[in-house]
Amino acid sequence: MNEMEIYSIYKDYFANSMLPYIKCKNCDYSFYYPRNRCPQCGSDKIEIKKSSGTGEIYSYTVFNNSIWAIVSFPEGFRLYMNIDSAGEPDVGKKIKIKFIDGRPYGSC
Amino acid sequence: MIKGFAEAVYKKYDGTAYDLMNEALEKALNMAGIQRSDIQGFITTFLPGIFDGNIFLHFFPDQLCGYLGINPKYIDSLDYGGPSVLAGLYRAEKLIKYEGLDNILLLFGGKGSLVRQTRETVDSYENLYDGVTNTPYKQLLSGYSYKNPLSDYALVAQRHKKIYGTADEDRARLMVKQRKNGNDSGYSMFTGDISVDDVLSSPVISSPLHLLEIVYPVDGFHAFIVSKSPGKLRPVKIKKYGEAHWSKLPPELEEIMITPASESSRNFRDEIKHCDAYELYDSFSITVILQLEDTGIIKKGEFGKFIEKTDISSSGDMPLNTGGGSINRGQPAYMSGSVLLYESLLQLNGMAKNQVRDINSVFINGIGGWSRNHSVSMILGD
Ligand SMILES: [Zn+2]
Repeated sequence: MNEMEIYSIYKDYFANSMLPYIKCKNCDYSFYYPRNRCPQCGSDKIEIKKSSGTGEIYSYTVFNNSIWAIVSFPEGFRLYMNIDSAGEPDVGKKIKIKFIDGRPYGSC
Repeated sequence: MIKGFAEAVYKKYDGTAYDLMNEALEKALNMAGIQRSDIQGFITTFLPGIFDGNIFLHFFPDQLCGYLGINPKYIDSLDYGGPSVLAGLYRAEKLIKYEGLDNILLLFGGKGSLVRQTRETVDSYENLYDGVTNTPYKQLLSGYSYKNPLSDYALVAQRHKKIYGTADEDRARLMVKQRKNGNDSGYSMFTGDISVDDVLSSPVISSPLHLLEIVYPVDGFHAFIVSKSPGKLRPVKIKKYGEAHWSKLPPELEEIMITPASESSRNFRDEIKHCDAYELYDSFSITVILQLEDTGIIKKGEFGKFIEKTDISSSGDMPLNTGGGSINRGQPAYMSGSVLLYESLLQLNGMAKNQVRDINSVFINGIGGWSRNHSVSMILGD
């Protein structure tokens, strides 16, 4: 898999409201930001998998009337996203993924 | 050893970055008592926008040498953001010791005002140009509402608040004490007494960070001339040194509250505890806290207690950011490293208005680059 193929598969996942991530079959490291080799061990034995889409807020900040966060997923990776929150956001609070304009957002 | 050092810093400078650069150099040459033709080495850095709004300059260091009228035998550009100048000092000492060169010019700065006017930062400046990408992950990072480096430090401050209980008041207290140092230094850009309430009632820009705990990018250059002899100055050199580079996006760090300062300072923690003054990178209030922790000066979670009981003034029990830091001096071209080094040299040479008495060593820590990936730790002394 090369970098452009990864982005194209990610796009398909997003279009189907699924959150992808990459798992290294050699060392088990999970990561979200696309690379054609595992940044942990250098192996090219990587596969794109589907996350449960339920994570928790690792940290957040309210900036410009929106919430910017790093969200942790149980499959062992984190990513940045904006989240919307009916109540107060908090570190450790559960979020569910939703998709707007083909981009993942968190909701809690 | 440093033979000459100077700054040329303005809130907003009307001329070009090139003019400003020449002003800092001329002052440093005068102090060192040397000519442009004596410069044998040149080290600088570039960030998007800081040279009169240009996102990029082709063969940048060469262009600067031509403008300045210098003909160095060694030319380099370091790309670690704020701490680049500190890494430059280390390399300059090596060039003198092992390559036999003399008079290495470190020239760092630019204009922050033009970037600021666009409502972007050096990290987000690419947004003004279609087709320019500063990171391979741009596709997955654009379209969201955030602004680095502010957002990344706010995320750390928020997590620090939750995990270690570091309150807004604790960070505000540091800002109040740094402002007092800035007032006493006599060369601060932002002056006048402030209270904890003033900090906490200033607008929250990216929670939990308030306006008064965020550095203000200004226009300015610093010039340092590193030489075989100290000339008229004290023979100041690097006594201990470490640098660390963690090339990771914050979501891929094991823990965002730990910085590469924990690695760059690892080999001389005991010596750090016995320095006479401390100049720690202060892009944001939280930046100082992270370095106090990661260099072993305080334990994680003890900042509140520390800042309440510690006098950080030049006559206090732990002189810290004695010039007021870049939070009060202003941050030339989005980089605070030179501000730390400049204040350290004022103090070590007995030239400070708020002079630390009997000072023989200063611990400096710089942190910066893309999402604080680089750290440089050093003890300066003679
Ligand atoms: Zn691997």
